[in-house]
Amino acid sequence: MPTIRVNGADLHYLHTPGRPTGNPAPTLVCIHGLGTDSLASFYLTLAAPLAAAGVDMLFYDLRGHGNSARPARGYQVGDFVADLDGLLGSLDVRLPVHLIGNSFGGTVAFAFAAAYPDKVASLVSIESEPPTEPWAQRVGEVLEITKQELSRDETYHWISVQFGDHHARLSRQAYRRLAETSMVEEIATGPMLDLTDLSRITVPVLSIIGGDGFQADDPYQLEGLLPDCRTVVIPDQDHSVLVEAHRQVRELLLDWVFSHHPVTAAPGQRT
Amino acid sequence: MTVDDNQINAVLAEVNDMINEITRKYGSPPVQVTMDTAFHSELELESIDLVTLGVMLAARYGEQVSMAEFLADKDLADVIALRVGEVVHYVVSRLNVVSHRNVATAVD
Repeated sequence: MPTIRVNGADLHYLHTPGRPTGNPAPTLVCIHGLGTDSLASFYLTLAAPLAAAGVDMLFYDLRGHGNSARPARGYQVGDFVADLDGLLGSLDVRLPVHLIGNSFGGTVAFAFAAAYPDKVASLVSIESEPPTEPWAQRVGEVLEITKQELSRDETYHWISVQFGDHHARLSRQAYRRLAETSMVEEIATGPMLDLTDLSRITVPVLSIIGGDGFQADDPYQLEGLLPDCRTVVIPDQDHSVLVEAHRQVRELLLDWVFSHHPVTAAPGQRT
Repeated sequence: MTVDDNQINAVLAEVNDMINEITRKYGSPPVQVTMDTAFHSELELESIDLVTLGVMLAARYGEQVSMAEFLADKDLADVIALRVGEVVHYVVSRLNVVSHRNVATAVD
């Protein structure tokens, strides 16, 4: 189980090399969401078919998640951005990379693209938004309510009845993550991006939205905030569109990555 | 007992050891899995543990055994309901493909 120490935390990662095609392989870095999520949601749905198509893929567990370390503090958006930058540097990943983020993972991807525009070739966000003040307020409230609800045994009974024992168990594990760390207090804090920052994220962005997901009220909002953004709404899908509609996501990704793949530099160099 | 049964039992024994290595980190007591044991509802493993098992299987049997490839076309409900026997049968099938390929190469 490979781990690497970056930014003060041991991060679990997996690399699946793309099948040789005779051309430089694009590198796709997958960033998962919060709580019960881990690199598994990307790895188990996308690793094999994208590697077979010739895409180098890097998966990692965010700090506090999966098989990565769970420090008590250090959960600001900026911490996750520093982790990603440290990971790419330590593993000598060929730049620029394509980023794909699910939910909070997309938020990290937007923040990374704003901080390091030269290191990003394109960005795919799935059910996610950039870290802005309105986002922080919403997410902060949701996390606080979630932590309160998950502290009550009745909640797990309800989850078990509604969604099954498996989800109830995952929710207990998520609660431990929230209770044992400062995630709830820190995650929706700095640095946030304002409208000017967003206008400077010039990399091509593909925003994949579930028709019944968290952004259903205004699915095309990002197109008005970002210079180069295209939105795809997958009907009849909620926030779990990555795992529930992984075949559609896979097809969108393959088309996107190969149509937005610049000539790459040698490992460790920027183009 | 047929050759296939022997192979299945051998892989099951190795998978059992790997699962115990994973559950040990959660402080769980040793378990004896069977072909019918369910990963999520009985062993209470998470998806990330399937990834860990996949890494162990690839280290033991080679890259031709790929958990990512095995699960890529399954729906979420199938992954949640996954049983040990399904993984064992997959591993045996991949080993047989490689074995047959080696025989064909030797004959050539």
